[in-house]
Amino acid sequence: MSKGEPKRAVITGITGQDGSYLAELLLDKGYRVFGFARQESWFRSAVFAQLGTRIEMLFGDLVVAEDISSAVEEAKPDEIYNLASQSRPGESWAHPTETMMINGLGPVLLFDAVRRVRPRCRVFHASSSEMFGRTTSWPQNEHTPFDAANPYAAAKVYAHQMARIYRQSYGMFISCGILFNHESERRPVHFLSQKVAYGAACAALGILDSPGLNERGRPIVQGGKLFLGMLEVFRDWGYAPDFVEAMWRMLQQDNPEDFVIGTGQLHSLRDLCAVAYGSVGLDWNDFVASDPALVRPLESGRTLADSSLAHARLGWKPSVNFESMVSKMVDVQKQRLMKIQNTLPGSL
Amino acid sequence: MAKVALITGVTGQDGAYLAELLLEKGYEVHGIKRRSSLFNTDRIDHLYHDPHIAGQNFVLHYGDLTDSSCLIRIIQQVQPDEIYNLAAQSHVAVSFEEPEYTANSDALGVLRLLEAIRILGLEQKTRFYQASTSEMYGLVQEVPQKETTPFYPRSPYAVAKLYAYWITVNYREAYGMYACNGILFNHESPLRGETFVTRKVTRALARIKLGLQDCLYIGNLDSRRDWGHAKDYVEMQWMMLQQEHPEDFVIATGVQYSVRQFIEAAGAELGIALRWEGSGVEEKAFDAAGRCVVAVDPRYFRPAEVETLLGDASKAREKLGWVPRISFAELVAEMVREDLRAAERDELVKRHGHKAYDHHE
Repeated sequence: MSKGEPKRAVITGITGQDGSYLAELLLDKGYRVFGFARQESWFRSAVFAQLGTRIEMLFGDLVVAEDISSAVEEAKPDEIYNLASQSRPGESWAHPTETMMINGLGPVLLFDAVRRVRPRCRVFHASSSEMFGRTTSWPQNEHTPFDAANPYAAAKVYAHQMARIYRQSYGMFISCGILFNHESERRPVHFLSQKVAYGAACAALGILDSPGLNERGRPIVQGGKLFLGMLEVFRDWGYAPDFVEAMWRMLQQDNPEDFVIGTGQLHSLRDLCAVAYGSVGLDWNDFVASDPALVRPLESGRTLADSSLAHARLGWKPSVNFESMVSKMVDVQKQRLMKIQNTLPGSL
Repeated sequence: MAKVALITGVTGQDGAYLAELLLEKGYEVHGIKRRSSLFNTDRIDHLYHDPHIAGQNFVLHYGDLTDSSCLIRIIQQVQPDEIYNLAAQSHVAVSFEEPEYTANSDALGVLRLLEAIRILGLEQKTRFYQASTSEMYGLVQEVPQKETTPFYPRSPYAVAKLYAYWITVNYREAYGMYACNGILFNHESPLRGETFVTRKVTRALARIKLGLQDCLYIGNLDSRRDWGHAKDYVEMQWMMLQQEHPEDFVIATGVQYSVRQFIEAAGAELGIALRWEGSGVEEKAFDAAGRCVVAVDPRYFRPAEVETLLGDASKAREKLGWVPRISFAELVAEMVREDLRAAERDELVKRHGHKAYDHHE
């Protein structure tokens, strides 16, 4: 990069929650941001609506080697953030092959393109706490062995290990963030945290049958009830904007390295419900029920991040706590629902 | 009724030994082979049954682990009681050249088979064996390695195999399928592929002995491996599918030798006494006449080496009573004997003015 020219970054998965926050962060820092996505998903995305004019798009499919390779050739990036993913672990049981193609093979096609076309480009790859699955070591750091409990996790382990092999074998700068759950008001409603926020917002507004549908095409709130899978799940939930900051910092280090990124705070799904419904003055027990159809064939265990390495090396720590994140999510959902109510009076 | 087995990778070393074992046990054996422009059934030619004669109990199907629809069709047609998934892009060094294909066949291929079993509603009928590998231990986290040792793969091959391992465990636990992993340490035989280090050594030294070749070029001499005989190992593969409950097992001898020791043992078997000189990439071995017969060539180094692998098969011994019967010395002797016989044939053919193929890598 010659002096004065902006850094160039490619973001795959730019239409998702993390992609949108990261694009904003990099634009703020003066980067030239290139997005990589399938054309049809880009033009339908909220990121396109908000940042469409500021992002240069390269259209293609991550599982097509030629697409990713020509994107790297065209963008000549200094940094690539690989966030594209089939991002729903529960759904990976229904679509295991697609999950492995996108989450496992896609990253390898990317690493291989970078190796050939742009070997000095720095790569961030989004790994997942799901890789720890049912591990019995607790909390989990960069050295905890993986125990993948679903096809999503198995594919993520595959990509994570391949990232290390490309780094060690070819001396490439590839760093993986082992990201624990991270949520925000931009999460789509089929994600657990957002479902709960949405449910709480519906309850607050007295909506008995929600306009929003779940992954099975039924209203998320039906007859005043929000149906979830197993309630005995525990997660380390953080705030997505904090996480994209960690991604960026990882690529500004002298050496590539993997980092666990999470808050280190464990909450149960019951806690999440209690905070969400509590933020609108309601008792979640009156509104939430468990539906066996939504329980995964195998549940992951209690994963909890030990991010001491990220704290020490990157100076990273979460800036938003669980309670304020959840209340904010509920609040945003309420605003959205009220807007719909106002535009379509009597429709709810 | 005879049990029906389906073997993927039937044209490979393990496939050939396993097919033979299952036929001896009275199975009807089906194998999947890939279409190739060259004959690729040398290892199973002796098992061939003429389909024109009644009572055929060994049937080959064209297929490929990268083709879901063909796998579903074959499994539907065969309705196997047992599937042994031995097919793989099984060469570690090649996996660095072909990572995508390796993932497609070694990782996704296993998923395709498991999904085929599910789609066809055979979860309760068909038992599934997945050939996992000691390469998954890679940069070993403890010595020796057993079922509970954490994995640290060092090659695209090993990572793809690790995916296959997890997905097999996941399908067993999520859907109650009888599916299990045999974590096999290196296993060799005269049927081993010519580009794998043991076979490369015995073949080259036999040919050097007869003057068909001058020198054996080799990669990392200090790699240490736990080498068993494939014949012993396929027995264990079969045993794993005959238990009450599916479980994963390490299969190994528990004894370790270096590549250098393997070369010395093979040389001794042929009466070639080796004298080593130099070190690192300069290391060479000379025979009694002072000819350089072994030399290190860095092109055979892997981008990331796996220095040492040593298995602990106590679980297999205690639970299934399995112990390897063929020793390292017997393994080397058998491989050398067979390669010497092949070299003698080539030498004879050449001496009479016919063409014999050298089959360079």
